[in-house]
Amino acid sequence: MHSEYPPTMPAEYADIEFENNAQRLPLVLCLDTSSSMAGAPIQSLNDALAEWTRELHDDVSLSYSVEVAVITFGGRAVGAWRGPQLLDPRAPLNPFVPAHAFQAPRFTASGVTLMTEALELAMHVVAARKAELRASGLQYYRPQICLVTDGLPTDATGHMTDSWHRLLPVLAEEQQARRFRLYAIGVGGITDRGEQVLQAFAPKFNARIQGFPFRELLQMMSASANAEQKGAGDEVFEKIFSQFKTQRPAWES
Amino acid sequence: MTGRTVHLDGKPVTLAELPLKGGGQAAVFPVEGDDTIVVKLYRDRPGPDLERRLARMLTMSPLTARPTDANQPPELAWPTAMARSPEGEFLGYAMRRFGEPQHVQLVGLFTRAQRLRLFNDRADWRFLLGVAWNLAFMTARMHYDHLVIGDFSSSNVVVDANGFVTFLDCDSIAFTDPVTGEPFPCLMHTTDYSSPERQSGAAATEESDNFALAVLIYQLLTAGNHPFGGVPHDSTPESTVKDNIAASVSYVVRPEAVVIPRGTVDPSVLPPGLLTLAHTAFGAGVHAPSARPTPEVWLRALDQERSRVQLCRTRPLHAYGSHLPTCPWCTRAAVTGHDAFNLPVRPTIPAPSATPQAQEHRFGLLKVLGVLLLVVLVLIVLGHLS
Repeated sequence: MHSEYPPTMPAEYADIEFENNAQRLPLVLCLDTSSSMAGAPIQSLNDALAEWTRELHDDVSLSYSVEVAVITFGGRAVGAWRGPQLLDPRAPLNPFVPAHAFQAPRFTASGVTLMTEALELAMHVVAARKAELRASGLQYYRPQICLVTDGLPTDATGHMTDSWHRLLPVLAEEQQARRFRLYAIGVGGITDRGEQVLQAFAPKFNARIQGFPFRELLQMMSASANAEQKGAGDEVFEKIFSQFKTQRPAWES
Repeated sequence: MTGRTVHLDGKPVTLAELPLKGGGQAAVFPVEGDDTIVVKLYRDRPGPDLERRLARMLTMSPLTARPTDANQPPELAWPTAMARSPEGEFLGYAMRRFGEPQHVQLVGLFTRAQRLRLFNDRADWRFLLGVAWNLAFMTARMHYDHLVIGDFSSSNVVVDANGFVTFLDCDSIAFTDPVTGEPFPCLMHTTDYSSPERQSGAAATEESDNFALAVLIYQLLTAGNHPFGGVPHDSTPESTVKDNIAASVSYVVRPEAVVIPRGTVDPSVLPPGLLTLAHTAFGAGVHAPSARPTPEVWLRALDQERSRVQLCRTRPLHAYGSHLPTCPWCTRAAVTGHDAFNLPVRPTIPAPSATPQAQEHRFGLLKVLGVLLLVVLVLIVLGHLS
């Protein structure tokens, strides 16, 4: 009757997670770490992620329900991170870490923008984690994937590509079936074309934000997680998202 | 940098720039220079219904008749003042602050790590039983005052170090204005605590509160397990706690119907009287609201157990019901390797039967006895001398 625990869960969490049968909320941060993010933007992302991690640890209701996985697209490939550890792509490991144990990675920016491949990997790890949880008798809320970019999808040589078109029917179907909630957010100097890609990915939950307000962005993800735990209707998520979209840096009138 | 200014009963106060917590509907802000209150501001301009609701609430003072222990915080974070813009526009309301670390959301009692971190060495099963009693008592008193909690969950009730509970989101409470007869319904709910009829849109009632109360009491008595957890064998991949409630699938009643997560505490830790109530609430009571145990019924059953709790002699923080011949938490630790109340014992520490705390306790008792004996002897000697 009692099932086996996910075999891929790191041993150090086993004793804590043994008793934790709260309904889980998988959350994937799918982050652009390509060369255009170099300098202040990537620094700002690293700082915001560290701060958010501290807040998540202290959040009584999210820390034992939310599970965080990080996917990056930069350098020459996409990467899955389990906390601060970049996983070997050849080893099929689960990148999700319970929020109370999550440690923020620190990124450096370089390379190309394999956005299509990153989203595919995000969808893949979500599906795998859901199967794993279900086999263990653990329920989950609708997972959240948060895509953040300042550019356009490229291929491995850094040339712009239309490969992202292949995602559109899949994303439409998955979102229709409520298998996850996708937020697609353009930051910094993202172009109109870049914004159009995000609109195509996430027709309702896309935004183009001035600057790099990663802190507000991550807080929005927490607010959305709270709403998910409460069982809120779609209109609440739209409200949370629109509040985030309308936030502006204080120095901007 | 400071936040905006609002008027509380005409008196201007400045809010902190960042809210303590924010959701889709409202955000709760600290007040600069006054850490005893917080102000809840609605995101969208609140309508006249909400303003009238708050105005009516400010004329009421429920649950105040009973003299409470001086250490006990109020059971309701009732509104204390309207919050308006300097121009007089209604924005929200002020209430007493019940924040961490003194007040912890009930969900903080549902995992070992948080129990240890937030409640020091107090949150054993006896404490959980006491919190369950306080929760049932609060619910009974609210129903007595014709208040329906409506949105009753592990996030909007807080617990203090003595196990006293306070309900936070009073603006969602359903009530009928005693003067005008105007009904103010509850418009919020939390799906994991919502009865099937509530999920399908019915109004909040005392019976729907009774459903949420049963779930919360069960979670407390099992150190955190939701009675509608587990994945039913015949479910769809996206099935959740909410679906199990709607389908009336609880492993407490129908263990054969679900894959139960490995760490789940056996329902038999509940004493028979309480387990029977849980069976009623998560069996027949799921779809028959009037069959659900009322707060008074829970209170009587909880009352009987409070005086009979047994303390384990082997390990600290192990307390259990009088119906069990041996400590269920020790059994669980022996069978699964997981102690539901204590951190894992490091291999270098000797066997748990000789934990320093238990020994100290025993020696402490000996010392007290010794001193008593000495006092008696001295008294006898003095008596003889005089």
